[in-house]
Amino acid sequence: MSTATVSDLVSQPYKHGFVTDIETEKIPKGLSEDVVRLISSKKDEPEFLLRFRLRAYRQWLQMAEPDWAALGHPRIDYQNIIYYAAPKQQEKKASLDEVDPKLLETFEKLGIPLSEQKRLSNVAVDAVFDSVSIATTYREKLAEHGVIFCSISEAVKDYPELVEKYLGSVVPGNDNYFAALNSAVFSDGSFVFIPKGVECPMELSTYFRINSADTGQFERTLIVAEEGASVSYLEGCTAPMFDTNQLHAAVVELVVLDDASIKYSTVQNWYAGDENGVGGIYNFVTKRGQCRGDRSRISWTQVETGSAITWKYPSCVLQGADSVGEFYSVALTNNHQQADTGTKMIHVGARTRSTIVSKGISAGHSSNSYRGLVQMGAKAIGAKNYSQCDSMLIGDQAAANTYPYIRSQQPDAVVEHEASTCRISADQLFYLQSRGIGFEEAVSMMVSGFCRDVFNQLPMEFAAEADKLLALKLEGSVG
Amino acid sequence: MIRPDAPLLLEIRDLHARVEDQPILKGVNLSVRAGEIHAVMGRNGSGKSTLSKLLAGHPAYSVTGGSVLFRGQDLLALQPEQRARIGVFLGFQYPVEIPGVSNLEFLRVATNARRVERGDEELDTFAFEDLVRERLKLVQMDPAFLERSVNEGFSGGEKKRNEILQMALLEPLVAILDETDSGLDIDALRIVAGGVCQLAGPDNATLLITHYQRLLDLITPDYVHVMAAGRILRTGGKELAVELERSGYDWVDQEVA
Amino acid sequence: MPALALPKTAAWLAELAGEPLPGRRQEDWRFTDLAPLQAVAAELWSGPDPFSQCSLPGGISRIAPAQAQLLLDQGLQATGSSTAWPVRLNRGASPHFLALRVSGSVEPLQLTFDAAAGQGLLALQLLLVLEPGASLELLLHHGSRAANATSLVTVAQLGQGAKLNLGVLAPGDARASLLSHLAISQAPASELQLTTAVGGWALSRFEPRICQSEGAALTRLRALQLVAGQELADTHSQVQFNGPDGQLDQLHKVVADGAGRSVFNGAVRVPRSAQRTNAAQLSRSLLLSDRARVDTKPELEIVADDVKCAHGATVSRLQQNELFYLQSRGIAVDQASRLLLRGYCDEVLRELPAAAASAHPLQLLLRERP
Repeated sequence: MSTATVSDLVSQPYKHGFVTDIETEKIPKGLSEDVVRLISSKKDEPEFLLRFRLRAYRQWLQMAEPDWAALGHPRIDYQNIIYYAAPKQQEKKASLDEVDPKLLETFEKLGIPLSEQKRLSNVAVDAVFDSVSIATTYREKLAEHGVIFCSISEAVKDYPELVEKYLGSVVPGNDNYFAALNSAVFSDGSFVFIPKGVECPMELSTYFRINSADTGQFERTLIVAEEGASVSYLEGCTAPMFDTNQLHAAVVELVVLDDASIKYSTVQNWYAGDENGVGGIYNFVTKRGQCRGDRSRISWTQVETGSAITWKYPSCVLQGADSVGEFYSVALTNNHQQADTGTKMIHVGARTRSTIVSKGISAGHSSNSYRGLVQMGAKAIGAKNYSQCDSMLIGDQAAANTYPYIRSQQPDAVVEHEASTCRISADQLFYLQSRGIGFEEAVSMMVSGFCRDVFNQLPMEFAAEADKLLALKLEGSVG
Repeated sequence: MIRPDAPLLLEIRDLHARVEDQPILKGVNLSVRAGEIHAVMGRNGSGKSTLSKLLAGHPAYSVTGGSVLFRGQDLLALQPEQRARIGVFLGFQYPVEIPGVSNLEFLRVATNARRVERGDEELDTFAFEDLVRERLKLVQMDPAFLERSVNEGFSGGEKKRNEILQMALLEPLVAILDETDSGLDIDALRIVAGGVCQLAGPDNATLLITHYQRLLDLITPDYVHVMAAGRILRTGGKELAVELERSGYDWVDQEVA
Repeated sequence: MPALALPKTAAWLAELAGEPLPGRRQEDWRFTDLAPLQAVAAELWSGPDPFSQCSLPGGISRIAPAQAQLLLDQGLQATGSSTAWPVRLNRGASPHFLALRVSGSVEPLQLTFDAAAGQGLLALQLLLVLEPGASLELLLHHGSRAANATSLVTVAQLGQGAKLNLGVLAPGDARASLLSHLAISQAPASELQLTTAVGGWALSRFEPRICQSEGAALTRLRALQLVAGQELADTHSQVQFNGPDGQLDQLHKVVADGAGRSVFNGAVRVPRSAQRTNAAQLSRSLLLSDRARVDTKPELEIVADDVKCAHGATVSRLQQNELFYLQSRGIAVDQASRLLLRGYCDEVLRELPAAAASAHPLQLLLRERP
């Protein structure tokens, strides 16, 4: 038998752990009404946004940090976090040539080339470094189609009426503790608007990079697809290795009108902490989409491999008749990582349909929970849900939990849920080995086979990347 | 085909092995030369399946004595995948199902691992599809099986055909077929046996592990070995199998006792 | 008709339990409104001891009170039941106590706890100690005809290789409440079959907690809960494997009609020591009215890698294709629905101990005339 064990296979050094040495403007640590005002004034925001932030801040003060997800972590000192950090450069540059080369280099090193010559030909990228967006590619080309793709700060300046109309309309400022915090202090993020009848001509992507230590990242993403519009959007994220924990509390809102669709994919690879659980990102994210229109569709696909703690439930509110919600998830935890993730499918309209496919892989001493809610409201006549939640356990120190809530008030709705638990069996490994396939490759084949239903949902360019990422993460862990 | 001057492929000398604390093999001796077909017969529990799994490197069996040389090389020192790459093939009695892993992808990775070992070029997906479609005919298998997960939901006969397909792709020097005939109806048995016969040649050898004569009606062995209590009790020509079929294994019990 | 809460009763119940009534803010009681329990009179049920006339077949003996109390406490601790509110309430309400020791294979036994037209709270405790290799088939038959409440705490210890076939048949009254907590510990090679059939109560709450103390036991749970009118039926089950090679086969069925509410919470815990556990849980709910509600929440917690844990849940109305099949054979839709519903319920009811048959459980629970 091979001396490499499946458990040895899971731990590969984090390869995005470098720090970019760049002059950064930071505001002092701590949170107060003054800090909220300072952030708003630094960004030169209109009055409505300041009011939105202050309202959320005051509500946040009244709220308590949730503890129901049973995620074990030391208390977060919210006064010990920097709420705004930006690389020092005066204005957002009109041309990429003027952007600090160190920043471009950073993103190139992460596999996200931004310069005209090297950028991906079929993907438009918004690059967010600490609290601000530093570059957005293909803006002009997209504008020809009427598609708006820019940082949310620019959107606030250039399209205030759209932002005012939709911001906070899906995730209200007081939705939950972390959403309230985000609403008060969010610094940047992406804004996408696809007008009526337009099929976005390329993939849109935002790449988030935390660079500074002790900085929280609170980005806000808002995507609106008008009647008959469609878009596929992908976000990626990495951070350097620090031995302190950093807080990431993002909010993503999606609005889909009649016959429109948004496909939202995430490959999350924040720094997860070291093998003893020191350091890493606390990833407390609120993502929600509203299918407001009839026959509208929202599809969430996520590959979650990073972060010390992940707390994330991308959800769909299916209001429009015949609207469709989908959630495809792979969550891999290793070492001392904790992931509590899943989705909520709230069926409001008639004949709404939802599909949930969740694949959890737990290795090391990690804990990986699926927590989901499928709710059939009184008017969801003929609605349907199908859920499948599978767990794979690697080693006997890891935990896999499944909490699938179902609530139904509608006899003409059908809810079906299936869950299973498996592991990589010695017999399967031997079978593959006896055909000449090496141990590590055999493990990686089985893990990606386990995740196949989800990877199939990712845009082509990213499916292979996700596969590789998983193989890297698993290196040294099976046995 | 027996040729005394043919190169020696497999040489098992005084092999002892156990599972957990249970000794199973108690001194097996067997030499296999290129071109030969051997049949190893015996009752359940005689040790014949242990022998086949052990040759492929199954982790549950530990060798307590003796040696196995494959073309002069110490086979027991190699990982299972290395054994496969140099040309030792085990056709499983119960091929395992591997959900999610595409059969086509699996066959391609395995075939290329063997090709690299032999110094051949790796096949890209297109070249491999051509090859696999050609080899499929050998076992009369529906190409639809390529699109499914490895053995998942296959019937007994389909699983065994998939085994022979793998053998056809890996072109082993020594193929060990463990109870390949079990669970097959007569048509499937003919197809599987036909595949094995076509793949047998002057440069390779086949070791059939079987309980019954019926497979040997379709594949004529050069040697028949009778195993009992962890050793090869008797070796003879194909007539020994016929004799076993007629008189059963009772005489074996007497000899062991 | 929604029950009217009497503030006096709430205070009295809280005093008995030494703890306020659980509220909706507690996760375990989120969907369970205790108002019907508070609508009973603030007094203890005053009828004769339901255990006094119980005649015991050979092989069953009573356990002396002091020892019985000790065993009961141990049993409650083993499943973490001591702090559960229904158990605290039961202890505070001077329960009638029956403690039995079973050796060898004994004749089937039936115990009837009919609160009938009585007032107030009827509190009962039952302790069953099955010696190694013992085998018992027991039917607990509940009933009520008034706004009263029954509180039962059952503690069972199954010795090595013991077999317990425990059935609970509980047709209720739309004014009455039933709180039943079961704490069952299983030694290796023991077999438990627990079949519960409950319907017609204003409020019913079942809390089966099974602990396979060293694994290697077999647990088979079958449940049917029916609600109609304004009724609420709640089951919180918990199965804990504290050793390897345990097996669980759980089926929970619900029929929700009228403005009834059904709650099911099914926890399965497989810690590191429980390798090779094989657990399957299936929850099936029939929702027959658009005023009824079903809340289902399985909880699977697994920390062992070599396990099989499957879980499934469905919520829907009667299968349209099955209905159509019957209709296409000339059966009217009402009758076809009835037939399918009966079949659906019968899958659980036929697993009740044989003694239940004479009570016609299907008619009782579906409220049909015999």
